[in-house]
Amino acid sequence: MGIDTERIEEVRKAEKEWQEKVLDPRVNRFKLRKSPTRFYTPTARNGFDFLEKVGFPGQYPYTAGNNPFDFWRAFAEESAKRGHRPDWGGGGSVGKYGGFGTASDYRDYLLRMQSIGRTGGPNMAFDLVTQCGYDSDSPEAEGEVGRVGVAVDSFRDFQIIYEAYTGNLEMDKVASNFTINAPAAVIIAMYAAMAEKRGIPVDRLRGTPQNDILKEFIARGTYIYPPRQSLRLFRDILVFCTEHMPRLNITSIGGYHIREAGATRTQDLAFSMANGAAYLQAGVDAGLEVDTFAPMFTFNAFGGSMEIYQEIAFQRAARRMYARMLKERFGAKNPRSMLIRQPVSAHIGCSSTTLQRPLNNHTRAVIGGLAAGMSGAMPLSFPPFDEPLGLGHSLEAVQLNLDATRILIHEAKIADVNDPWAGSYMMEALTDEIEEDAWAEFDKIEKMGGAVAAIESGYMQKAVAKSAYERQKRIERQEDFVVGVNCFNDENEIDVSVNRAVEDTYDEESMRSAEERQKAALDQLKREREGKAVKTTLATLRKNAGDETVNLMPDILACVKAEATLQEISDVLREVFGEAEPVRM
Amino acid sequence: MSEERKIRVLVAKPGLDGHERGARVVAYGLRDEGFEVIYTGLRQTPDQIAVAALQEDVDVVGLSILSGAHVSLSRKVIERLKERGADDILLLVGGIIPEKDIPTLKEIGVGAVFTSGSSIPTIAEYIRSEIASDGGG
Repeated sequence: MGIDTERIEEVRKAEKEWQEKVLDPRVNRFKLRKSPTRFYTPTARNGFDFLEKVGFPGQYPYTAGNNPFDFWRAFAEESAKRGHRPDWGGGGSVGKYGGFGTASDYRDYLLRMQSIGRTGGPNMAFDLVTQCGYDSDSPEAEGEVGRVGVAVDSFRDFQIIYEAYTGNLEMDKVASNFTINAPAAVIIAMYAAMAEKRGIPVDRLRGTPQNDILKEFIARGTYIYPPRQSLRLFRDILVFCTEHMPRLNITSIGGYHIREAGATRTQDLAFSMANGAAYLQAGVDAGLEVDTFAPMFTFNAFGGSMEIYQEIAFQRAARRMYARMLKERFGAKNPRSMLIRQPVSAHIGCSSTTLQRPLNNHTRAVIGGLAAGMSGAMPLSFPPFDEPLGLGHSLEAVQLNLDATRILIHEAKIADVNDPWAGSYMMEALTDEIEEDAWAEFDKIEKMGGAVAAIESGYMQKAVAKSAYERQKRIERQEDFVVGVNCFNDENEIDVSVNRAVEDTYDEESMRSAEERQKAALDQLKREREGKAVKTTLATLRKNAGDETVNLMPDILACVKAEATLQEISDVLREVFGEAEPVRM
Repeated sequence: MSEERKIRVLVAKPGLDGHERGARVVAYGLRDEGFEVIYTGLRQTPDQIAVAALQEDVDVVGLSILSGAHVSLSRKVIERLKERGADDILLLVGGIIPEKDIPTLKEIGVGAVFTSGSSIPTIAEYIRSEIASDGGG
């Protein structure tokens, strides 16, 4: 690329001639309205500037990747020789995402995993009761305690879980992840209180709370307070972490959930960036220098689809857009502030998997792995093919994913070239297009008053719902094709099945009794704790919640230490902040 | 002769599960199919759903559940509808429903289960045929 103007004119002329003499006759011959394919030439991007648009891996604007090579790549060959399983965690990283039952059920699971060498830190899934700010004895909790994650009602539960982390695996020697949003402040306070109780300086704690409340309104749905008040809690966490827990990531911003909820690529990128901008602004408005906290922002990938060229371009555009936003709009100087740090890059998203002929999902996941490997990350194949069955990932399916990634790295050598599509007329054109569209949508949201205002008005929620419906209509009209779902699904097609051994994670009986056992423990806590301390700390929280200038983290920490429950703390904030209304369309 | 009454459908999200994509898509789709559709929004209790079904005088309640709690939640909604004498309402369930649970759901009174990949015309057709055979409600 980097062709001079004279040559561009020549190409443009030749292109026109090719279209008239070669392409159009062929289109006519097959009686098509337009060509089903596209050929990109230098004319697609006029005046392409390599240094401005791409640059080098590890340098602004990071289009070509965050690093010349990632940590894992440095040790890929060594890992192959030693048979290392990245999904098991270890070496101070987090383990596999999970959680179920009571706090002690989950602790025992973690201990079992450690006994077979899976020594990663806890990567906690919380049950919906906890995620929505209720206790296990609440009427809202009935039937949901310990179902989709572990139940955490109080600091006691947190202490029980961390009984699995001592000695060589002391809590400051592993990283912890918490998939928690609306009650993130409470969980972070428990984490800090836990360290304090063990005499570990809190500034040594590493990990990532999801803490991305704005996207909960757009997708995923576990919000409690209205958006504006939720952002105030975000600010309090940001300021607290920056001061006291500098090694804890502040947030994991999720475009992934937004796309899974039906958003288009443009909406995914623009809404995630708008949410990110709102979070960054909250820190700046609190009087902090952007470079003191932005390096601790992470992303939970963006969404995915099967469209491999677009998804690779999307990741490139996302890196460039975020870097530009940080540098130009927020005046960041630290390169680390400008990076989209995320565990994976391109992928297919779970919503690309099909219940019909599920083994095909493995093929789909491999294509996602290929896209990841070509867009600046480990070529992770995900999800396991049995994802849409709703029965848990089988050992076989997980093994196939893992092996696909290994094959892409070691046999196909996907990860030996950085940004392999850099300079491709097609890829650069798509990358520009995605970034331009996303900026246009981002500016539209800014004009509405930013992410919070666009959520309050229901704009983002409705836009995503409409896009989801559009996609459904395209599938039903056979404008989009999904193999085995809306095409190739007649009786001549045969189903292919494999044996599945579900990982022995939990037994049905303990799941059934979890609610009762968790409620008994909560009951005991309420009898044993010092009632006065609970009352006093909650009263202080209530008083300070009404004053927007006060940081509530110290008060929440005091409540947690006094063994106030997660719902008691959340209820106080519900009283003061009010509750968010669901969007009914 | 009489003016055609549109079939009325309540699309509901019981429990704490926040996955709304399916519910929204089905709500939009059935509306385009000519039904009168009311969507409850997230986090409705079985009681709230039964009350809304009666208030809105619906013929059909569609529950969208992706949390794994489909059997207990469906059972509760059916109980609440029965308590209010509204057990003639057709109950449908959609979401992530393992195949082994479908017979159980039908036993407790769910008319049909529509899992991932179901098309809107199929759902609409099923509703029309069920409501017609019921004598039009």
